[in-house]
Amino acid sequence: MPKVTINNEEIEVDDGTTVMEAAAQLGYDIPHFCYHPALSIPANCRMCLVEVEDNPDLQPSCHMPVNDGMEVHTESERVVKARKSVLEFILVNHPVDCPICDQAGECKLQDYYMAYDAQESRLRTEKVDGVKVYPLGPEVVYDGERCILCTRCVRFCEEITETDELTTAQRGDHTEIRTFPGQELDNNYSMCTVDICPVGALTARDFRFKCRVWLMNTTDSVCTGCSQGCNIHLDHFRNEVQRYRPRYNPDVNDYWMCDPGRYTYKEVHQDRLEDPMVGDNVVNWHAATQAYVSTMDEALDTFEPSERAMVLSPQVSCEGLHQARRFADEVLETDRLYMGGKPGGESDDLLMNADKNPNRRGIEYVFGGLEAVDSFESLVDAMEAGEIRVLHMMNKHIPTTDDALRARFVDAVADLDLFVLQAMHRGEMVFPPDHRGDFPAADLDDPTLVELADIALPSSSHAEQDGTFVNEDGIAQPFSQSFKPLYNSQPDWQIFGRLGDEMGHSLSYRRLADLREEMFGDAEDDAKPKTLDDKQSKSRAPADAATQPTPAE
Amino acid sequence: MGEVNVKTLKQKDRTFWEQTYVTEFIKGLGVTMKHFFTNLSPNKEDRDTRTVEYPDEPRDYPDRYRGRHRLMVRDDGQVRCVACMCCSTICPADCIHIEAAEHDDPSIEKYPETFVIDQLRCIACGMCVEACPCDAIRMDSGVHVSAFEDREESFHDRETLMDLGGQSMAEQGGDHIPSPN
Ligand code: SF4
Ligand code: SF4
Ligand code: SF4
Ligand code: SF4
Ligand code: FES
Repeated sequence: MPKVTINNEEIEVDDGTTVMEAAAQLGYDIPHFCYHPALSIPANCRMCLVEVEDNPDLQPSCHMPVNDGMEVHTESERVVKARKSVLEFILVNHPVDCPICDQAGECKLQDYYMAYDAQESRLRTEKVDGVKVYPLGPEVVYDGERCILCTRCVRFCEEITETDELTTAQRGDHTEIRTFPGQELDNNYSMCTVDICPVGALTARDFRFKCRVWLMNTTDSVCTGCSQGCNIHLDHFRNEVQRYRPRYNPDVNDYWMCDPGRYTYKEVHQDRLEDPMVGDNVVNWHAATQAYVSTMDEALDTFEPSERAMVLSPQVSCEGLHQARRFADEVLETDRLYMGGKPGGESDDLLMNADKNPNRRGIEYVFGGLEAVDSFESLVDAMEAGEIRVLHMMNKHIPTTDDALRARFVDAVADLDLFVLQAMHRGEMVFPPDHRGDFPAADLDDPTLVELADIALPSSSHAEQDGTFVNEDGIAQPFSQSFKPLYNSQPDWQIFGRLGDEMGHSLSYRRLADLREEMFGDAEDDAKPKTLDDKQSKSRAPADAATQPTPAE
Repeated sequence: MGEVNVKTLKQKDRTFWEQTYVTEFIKGLGVTMKHFFTNLSPNKEDRDTRTVEYPDEPRDYPDRYRGRHRLMVRDDGQVRCVACMCCSTICPADCIHIEAAEHDDPSIEKYPETFVIDQLRCIACGMCVEACPCDAIRMDSGVHVSAFEDREESFHDRETLMDLGGQSMAEQGGDHIPSPN
């Protein structure tokens, strides 16, 4: 294995390691634009030049493999001067319209300018004009003046999605990024190009001009769009989610996430059930709990355990499901459990899964397998046969696209003696949302489940609580609270605790950590995600994350 | 430590007439009367009082007085602000509310669809003016913020702010003249 000396520190690295990667292992972050750890290396921006001893020319460190005995300087005077010159070159035709550029604040060009250039422009000629606000596709807008032609976006479409929509067109300082004639940048991952664009040349239609990046706070979270459970940065400002960005996790989503998943943030704010309701009346939690206790007490006396049922939601965190299991066991004393959640949808081979629920494997984990949980069809059959009189349902999703089954369920709900709905949404808009994440309004001639419910209890979204989702591959992934529960909602695990306590069973936990300890049992550290199968800790940020050059978002 | 030099001062003794107070009293009254009659003069210029008969008489503000905000306009009368949010970010009173939007005119791109300053929360610090990269907001209107009868009145929206606005001296897009060095 070659030994290389970087800034007088020696390190032994694997064969084929580039100088930039070796430097990153020693903690030196070499400035770069075109290099991205997940893409091929064109070495076209020249930002990463370093000095290699016995070599008269500066070398691009992203491309150059290390040799044994190599001596590299990444911060020498010559290197710093070269960086300044490269930046000056890039800025020759750059508009520097940072005030209206969405990238400002997270722009590598801004950062490197401040670090290495920081001089007034010496340009005496007019800048070359490029296209502004040029739509490359339905989600992505291109700015030809800001583009530094690093070709990250082109390589992404070639190498990751393999859809090849983008290319460079024209020559010299008129070069711009274009789609091939007759094509649009319209794949399931098109907004990833916005993330990897090191400058503000690509902006997302949805996020354009919505919020300045320095105003937002970021929470580590998990996308709820499908069972892949892509790791995300949840960016929020004033209790409102502004956007999702993928968070690096080589075991789950690498650096990427899909466009429909990005839009699921809208579910946090649209169509929310805001307050507890008893019948048609909006009430406070105290009154709703009292109403629940009196009606449920009566129902428990009147109906056999086999006449009571619960619909579980794979949209809810493991913590909520753990409480649901205890609630069904100890309060409802029933083993009639049914699977709710969203119906399946589109899938592809990269990330997107057909199962649009983030936590189906969580139900499996919490209930020790899916044998105990029956299908939604059997629920409708049992309801129509009059076998079920009392139903406690989590979330308004009906896991079918079959309108007949949906209608049969709604009819059967109307015949129940007691129907409790514990849900995030009112159901006035229907799933699935269109590709922009906006929900078409439901056909309001049909009564919504909230209207049919004797008692409706508002639950919180994943952005408003701490929790855990178990993804398709059985990796348990914690997510964190971004802001306090919106409106009058409460996290599912707290609702069950509250109802259980009032019904005379001690169900609540003072802290989520206590609940997690009980649920995950032998796990030594509840913040660490675990795989279901081998129960081994798998750290969220892989050990080699620190030793890779940062992707420069 | 060096020597400390002590200088002894002797107080001057009062003369006989000073001790009687009579002459000094008359002298003092003379000064008072001189001012009294100067300031009774019908010609204001001759008076030496500093009293301004506010609000009947407007006050002259110094050049750098921070008065009511104004939003500057472009050559074609559109708002100059590009909704970069630098001012609302820096504002320590958090009283500037901006909603950005895409402009129909492609040469403008981004503009403030909503721009509201809550003048009752504003502490007139002038930081917004300092922060603006576009010379779009100024406080040099020379008009001070007057009292409000209604809370709503204190929300100055884009049009109110543009009413005081003028054209900026700065060239749009910055000048291309390189610095001497
Ligand atoms: S890409 Fe960066 S440097 Fe260029 S205008 Fe945008 S923020 Fe400014
Ligand atoms: S649009 Fe962005 S990612 Fe694509 S080449 Fe230009 S600067 Fe690079
Ligand atoms: S003067 Fe100060 S307090 Fe008033 S709007 Fe400007 S920054 Fe805010
Ligand atoms: S700093 Fe200037 S350009 Fe930016 S939003 Fe405020 S007034 Fe508009
Ligand atoms: S040339 Fe190495 S990062 Fe672009």
